[in-house]
Amino acid sequence: MIKLLKDVIEYLRLGTSDDYKVNRTRPPGAVDEKRFMALCIRCNRCLEVCPYHSIVRAGFGGKIGTPYIFSESKGCYLCMACCQLCPTGALDRTLNNPEQVKMGKAKIDPKICYSHLFLEHDVVPDESLTKIGALCNTCYNVCPLKDAAIVLKDNLYPVVTDACVGCGVCVERCPTSPIRAIHVIPTGMGRIDEAGFYFRKAKSHFEKSRSSASQQPGQPLSGERLLDEKFKIDSSGKQPTFEFPYEKPSSLEGWE
Amino acid sequence: MYTRYRRIVQSVVMALIFAVPVLNIYEIYAVTGTLYALNFGGLGVADPAVILQAIFAAGELTVPLLSAALFPLLVAVLFGRIWCGWFCPFLFLAEGADWLRNKIGAKRWPRIFGRGVWVQNPLAANATRYAFLLGGTALAGAIAIPVLNYVNAPGILSTEAMIFVKERTVSIEFGLIVILFVLQLTILPKMWCRLFCPTGAVISLFRSPFGLRVISLARQTTSPCCRENTCTSVCPMGLAPFRDAGNLLCVNCGKCIEACPLGNLAFQGFEIRPASAKR
Repeated sequence: MIKLLKDVIEYLRLGTSDDYKVNRTRPPGAVDEKRFMALCIRCNRCLEVCPYHSIVRAGFGGKIGTPYIFSESKGCYLCMACCQLCPTGALDRTLNNPEQVKMGKAKIDPKICYSHLFLEHDVVPDESLTKIGALCNTCYNVCPLKDAAIVLKDNLYPVVTDACVGCGVCVERCPTSPIRAIHVIPTGMGRIDEAGFYFRKAKSHFEKSRSSASQQPGQPLSGERLLDEKFKIDSSGKQPTFEFPYEKPSSLEGWE
Repeated sequence: MYTRYRRIVQSVVMALIFAVPVLNIYEIYAVTGTLYALNFGGLGVADPAVILQAIFAAGELTVPLLSAALFPLLVAVLFGRIWCGWFCPFLFLAEGADWLRNKIGAKRWPRIFGRGVWVQNPLAANATRYAFLLGGTALAGAIAIPVLNYVNAPGILSTEAMIFVKERTVSIEFGLIVILFVLQLTILPKMWCRLFCPTGAVISLFRSPFGLRVISLARQTTSPCCRENTCTSVCPMGLAPFRDAGNLLCVNCGKCIEACPLGNLAFQGFEIRPASAKR
């Protein structure tokens, strides 16, 4: 019984899936979600000062009054006007470089993207126009961090790199319908909406074991340190050195 | 006299909460923000109650948070609760409700809260609003969300004005304003300002004994000077100014000074004009 109660409290504490949604980010410079909810006083100054009217007030619910950017209707153009105005520090006011913003990361869905369909799956425009393949590259052209956040692979189709800040202009401009071929996944989301309760439980356990101070040198590694060690296992860049066990013939008979 | 000036100032504030979003749409950013937090050309000002909430919810005390609350608290030290009496658009609305109450004769409706009920007592009113402030702040600290911001009436009013200007609509929070207006119209006038408003509660704490305040010049302050008890009947906060002129609830509106037939009440502040000069 107590265990059940504990589980319920844990479930409530971990929050609902309402915390994060695809194509819904906080304004640039926002601190992490939990601290943002504590610090944001819903004064809506960021909303008022936004010259592109990108920032929208959240509607009914626990987050009422807090600012959001809905990338599908209007992306953020990274003018950085809002961060400097935040009176409480919910948006980091020292931030004025658009490249250091961490609102999220864009992700291209290759099953919908025109360029990917055209180049990888050889889909050409058919008469029904349900699936179109074309060299579109709109996201590449509108990206504020062009050639850094979105690059053209083989000079042909767009690929999102780690420099993406999640502004969502590509989502706003993506021509596919009804579902956009590119999505912004907000920072801290980790696709929690698609995972279940046990995933979130495991995630909280993982976050608890993150602190490396509690880990003894003799103990098996866990958490982030284990991941660090695993990422070190990488064959790229190093060429394996081994001796050929046979002698290379200097010439082949009959070929010269 | 004071009421006339007060109406002018209140109308200007009421106009400004609509004008500032319009100016911002035309990219004139001299004044930005809502009554939660404002920015006058570089001077950041925030509602001290809201800042208190943020401090407890986030569990940290930072320089931006403190500096935002500094100016309003300085005004409170110098002028008492003048924000509530002279500037707050919600008191303007509440006084509108009172005016409407007189017009439609709601004063003759059966009264649920008569004079004898405990909420009419200034001490009980103060206790209620500080309990509300403390409870809200404790809850904010417990669940890490500034809960009292959801019910900050002047802030909501100005935010709704901004939303109306920008999007020609109002959000769900406007319901709170409507509910409060109806309650103040029918049941208990100035209910929000007297019994709940967290902003007023924080500002009251910072009023100083040498700032602007109403004083009684009468010889004795235990019983009303005149038979009509004029000052008590006009006081919007339900005080008896002849007795508790320096009460925490006083908003420095000056209604009692105007109404007093004997001239026994006066503003006093900064000790510029000695109390005896009026006589």
